[in-house]
Amino acid sequence: MSHMEATAQYIRLFESERERIDVGAPAALNALRDKAADAFRRLGFPSKHVERYKYTDVAAAFAPDYGLKLATQPAEPTDFELVSKLYGTLAPLEADGIAALNTMLAQDIVVVRVPAGIKKDHPMQITNNWRSTLPLMQNRRLMIVAEAGAEVQVILTDKAEAGQDYLTTQVTEIFVGEGARVEFYDIEDTHERCHRFHQTFAQVATGGSFTHAAFTLASGLSRNQTDVTLAGEGATASLLGSAIMAGHQHVDNNTLIDHQAPACTSRELYKYVADQQSSGAFAGRVLVREDAEKTDSIERNANLVCTEEARMWTQPMLEIYADDVQCSHGSTVGQINADALFYMLQRGLSEAEARMLLKQAFASEVLDELPLEPLRLRLAALIEKRFRNCENCKLCK
Amino acid sequence: MLEIRNLHASIGGKEILKGIDLSVGEGEIHALMGLNGAGKSTLSYVLVGHPAYEVTEGSITFRGKDLLQLSPDERSHEGIFLSFQQPVEIPGVPMTKFMQAAINAKRKYEGKEPLSAAEFLKLMRERRKIVELDNKLTTRSVNEGFSGGEKKRNEIFQMAMLEPRLAILDETDSGLDVDALRIVAEGFNRLRTPETSAIVITHYQRLLDYLKPDFVHVLIDGRIVKSGGPELAAEIENRGFEQFLV
Repeated sequence: MSHMEATAQYIRLFESERERIDVGAPAALNALRDKAADAFRRLGFPSKHVERYKYTDVAAAFAPDYGLKLATQPAEPTDFELVSKLYGTLAPLEADGIAALNTMLAQDIVVVRVPAGIKKDHPMQITNNWRSTLPLMQNRRLMIVAEAGAEVQVILTDKAEAGQDYLTTQVTEIFVGEGARVEFYDIEDTHERCHRFHQTFAQVATGGSFTHAAFTLASGLSRNQTDVTLAGEGATASLLGSAIMAGHQHVDNNTLIDHQAPACTSRELYKYVADQQSSGAFAGRVLVREDAEKTDSIERNANLVCTEEARMWTQPMLEIYADDVQCSHGSTVGQINADALFYMLQRGLSEAEARMLLKQAFASEVLDELPLEPLRLRLAALIEKRFRNCENCKLCK
Repeated sequence: MLEIRNLHASIGGKEILKGIDLSVGEGEIHALMGLNGAGKSTLSYVLVGHPAYEVTEGSITFRGKDLLQLSPDERSHEGIFLSFQQPVEIPGVPMTKFMQAAINAKRKYEGKEPLSAAEFLKLMRERRKIVELDNKLTTRSVNEGFSGGEKKRNEIFQMAMLEPRLAILDETDSGLDVDALRIVAEGFNRLRTPETSAIVITHYQRLLDYLKPDFVHVLIDGRIVKSGGPELAAEIENRGFEQFLV
């Protein structure tokens, strides 16, 4: 199916279900629906000719006929005015086909608002557990608003029951106020029949700090787009990701860090382990604008490609228009270190165990950067479990 | 215990070992000396089954088994241990996890239950003391950020954990200062049982003063050209290898 046919399919779906979508959705979401639909008609699904989508076949992912489960009653957010004011202001719904589609179809929004000065002492967790007898599509919206000096940690986990096809689009808009701190962890542990397109747009005000970590433990096709605007002086952003891929899995992390203000800091580390016939893509653009003097930015992507068939595309990008900055970017693609492997065999480890430990060590480096310690320990265990299952299953032998 | 017969081995098509004959009995220490490039390290790699080396002729039996039919991990389980000349750093793999995997793989091979975490940690503590290895090193990733001396000490620590029947020490003395050399050598001696055998590769008399080899062999251009008792090492120390060169 071409991307035009896939686009037409969703426009038909929208037009036939429009009334029911509106009835079950809050007013703030309905207010943008026409604008989003117009944009989606115009943009359609991004083809591989669209720069930021060149590594992932979007139309193919959307081509199957998914059911759309519609709410019959709207869940009105309590902060109506705030949501109405902020909804859709960060997501480029007139420039990005996926953001437009999501805004056109979304019925529910989860809003996390932390008032000024409030520091949440426990992280919040949002869990999505897919379970359906029919192929199912979900279009999710999440908004996080941390007002001046507020602090919040949000953990999002995606799981799915085996044996069904699932498709998610998710648009998250995050507003990090002056001196506020937001950590957003997005952990996917689904299966090969799950396709997802997550987009996170964050804006960080003066002295604010934003951390985003995307862990793909298992999935079918995942595209995670994370765009951060460092809008106020001294703001910081840390983007982290670890993808463990096997089978025919495809993981695409696409990031943009826009340094608009002076003296901002950004750190970026993404690591992939590509096994079997899997494929991965990383594209990270760091943009340092003319006014963003004293920018401090480090971007790194490292990849372990374990088989002849596995593929990895990597594209670190750095664009600097300011004079006085400190920036670096780089990426590596390599194989299992043969010397380390032999050393481990000499000590009596089986080849499967030695390879597993080396892959696990590689993927786990990102954990060192996680500020939330209990999550770090939990993820270390999940990563180990993921590799052990994989090594012991028939596919990997 | 170890019988090497007419061993020929090559790397990348280049023949390095050109007919080695060597017998190592139970409890014996054999020193292997020779110039750089003579094939000493190649012999140790061939014994542990490094995939880069191809055995083109000859045989190796270890305790009655055809060693060349065994994979590197099986050779380790059979009791062959190589103290590497340049131990590799393995970032992200903690020493404790690595050693636990190694010990339990060996126990599985021997049909034994894995050690519990408590038993394992107790064993680590005991063996660490033998080579005076700092606790902080065992909590780090394998060899990562270790000094040259610490890496060598860590090799002997791993040997202490695995209790091999045949230890191959490939220039374990290189990069060690006098005190570290004494600790490593004394640690090795404390670990020895009457059954433990060793092949000690070295350029220097100093290590042999501690380890007191029963036999000394001179390896030149892929062949053992002379074998003798400890006095041979002293002779080499005084007169060098030139006397053996054709």
